[in-house]
Amino acid sequence: MNENTHLSKQFDDDLTGLRTHVLEMGGLVEAQIRAAIDAYATGDTTVVKDIVENDHRVNGFEKIIDDETIHVVAKRQPTASDLRLVMGITKIVTDLERIGDEAKKIAKGARRVHEHGQLTLPRATDVRHIADEAVVMLRQALDCFARLDSVKATEVIHADAKVDVEFKALVRQLITYMMEDPRTITTAIDIVWICRSVERIGDHAKNIAEHVVYIAEGRDIRHTGKEA
Amino acid sequence: MSKPLIQTLALSLALGVPAAVLGILVSPVIGLSVFCAVLALQLIGFLRNFSRLEAWTRNPLPETTPEGGGIWDEVFSRLHRHEKELRVAIARRDFDLQQVAAAGQAMVDGIVTLDADSRISWCNRVAEQQLGLDLRSDRFQPIANLVRQPAFINYLATGDFSKPLRLSSMRGDERVLSLFVLPYSGQERLLQIQDVTQSERLDQTRRDFVANVSHELRTPLTILSGFLETVRELELDPVDQEHYFDLMAEQSVRMSRIVQDLLALSTLESAPPPSGGERVHMTPLLEKLHRDAQALSAGRHSISLEMDTGDLFGAESELASAFGNLISNAVRYTPPGGEIVIAWKRQGSSAEFSVTDNGIGIDAKHIPRLTERFYRADTGRSRETGGTGLGLAIVKHALSRHQARLEITSTPGEGSRFSTVFPPTRVAA
Repeated sequence: MNENTHLSKQFDDDLTGLRTHVLEMGGLVEAQIRAAIDAYATGDTTVVKDIVENDHRVNGFEKIIDDETIHVVAKRQPTASDLRLVMGITKIVTDLERIGDEAKKIAKGARRVHEHGQLTLPRATDVRHIADEAVVMLRQALDCFARLDSVKATEVIHADAKVDVEFKALVRQLITYMMEDPRTITTAIDIVWICRSVERIGDHAKNIAEHVVYIAEGRDIRHTGKEA
Repeated sequence: MSKPLIQTLALSLALGVPAAVLGILVSPVIGLSVFCAVLALQLIGFLRNFSRLEAWTRNPLPETTPEGGGIWDEVFSRLHRHEKELRVAIARRDFDLQQVAAAGQAMVDGIVTLDADSRISWCNRVAEQQLGLDLRSDRFQPIANLVRQPAFINYLATGDFSKPLRLSSMRGDERVLSLFVLPYSGQERLLQIQDVTQSERLDQTRRDFVANVSHELRTPLTILSGFLETVRELELDPVDQEHYFDLMAEQSVRMSRIVQDLLALSTLESAPPPSGGERVHMTPLLEKLHRDAQALSAGRHSISLEMDTGDLFGAESELASAFGNLISNAVRYTPPGGEIVIAWKRQGSSAEFSVTDNGIGIDAKHIPRLTERFYRADTGRSRETGGTGLGLAIVKHALSRHQARLEITSTPGEGSRFSTVFPPTRVAA
């Protein structure tokens, strides 16, 4: 009897630890995006090196968490909601790692844009705005994961459409700049890449929210379009 | 053995006596059956009381405690008393707990209590707002799951809480929080969160101010020393030399003006507020300011003066410098040919002073910061027109010492209006 409760508590601790690790990784990734966007908006490119450096930590987290999930599966053979949690975590971690990569790309893009000289076109505020929305999506998706709140997760999924629309609007705007003055093309393309990364972050945040719904309700709502 | 129990036993024995008498006189069988019948009756009474007790324990309320005779009465009344006392004690404890929780809610700072594993055990509403928590859903969550900033997680992990942690809120509202961790009762920890956005901003303003003063003074100083060197080391013809001396004089005038303005500001800040006694005659004051403005404009602008009667109570020198600053700003920022209207109007028992121009105007984003020291909406233009960057700061201070506030409305390209309303206590008929 004693043995049993001890085992299940250990199992609980394993799962809690796993979740906390995922969220810690999420926090790091969030900070990375913020730093990258700040670098773009303020032109302070000295932080770019730190961001690239920190991406190794993100990757390290991915490996550690994958390792832990394998251990949990091998040792505890989780079933039902525990199994969904473990499987969901492996997917969330993949998305987080990709977001980390996008943050790195934004940081490098910011360095290119600012090294190129004066940032005369697209007011940094527009990019900042769409980036803020993507960051909020990620933050909410992670909050949903911490609370296993599938209602809020559905809201996050819907928010992605807005980021997509804004991304398209920004690209259209950049195209007009490029047509007016071909000298802006190099910078404009770099900015397009940054926006693209931001848009991808929104997509990954949406994926995370979908995994949360799966973990909480056992419903797979990926690729189901409007139903979600 | 307790008294009621002895009594009960004694009663049973006493009933045994007539049974024994019957047994001896009639027959042992009848005696025994009578004794058994008496015991059975007693047992039935016991069982009845027991079943009442059993029923009551399912939902023990002091009002419904059963009543019984003999030994049961004692038990029931003791249970009744115990239940009642328990309820009073619980109510008192609930009240105390609520008081403590209410005190926690009343705190200006955010408070989160953490258990040994850094899980949230309680937090107040301020903390909910600051950290984006929701106590209903987040109780017993590890706090690191919701406050995920790497800096915070490191801070918790290292366990060195001698210095507070400065954390910028991730909730996208640009707030700066200062976190303290205080251990209490063994493994539990209290997280105290202060919103230091305001003091952070003040610090920033102070740093900016020092940097600005140094910069503002260094620029003319550099020019001055540069020209000094030139004049000393080069053979110059008298015309050039004269020109250089003029430029040097100009820079030294500028420096002394900055120092004068700084001194004026610090006097305004430290001096006691002006008494309401001194009557400032507005008509001569405004006419003098009007003449000064025309002299400064040298005929480039049309400057008109609209005056109601009515004087002010206050410090004449401060008011003169505030009004003069506003008027000279209008002259300097209005292109030649522009119109400037200086107005002194009664509004019921209060009165308004205003300067309206149709000059270059001010972008809306600059307006809230205009009265900051050395704040310049357009750096180049402001220096070239001879401003020290302190004028509006002086105006704001001087006016606020007269309970008046500077109001600025402006449209870029169309002009600006600087106005201030004096309260009835400052206005004399």
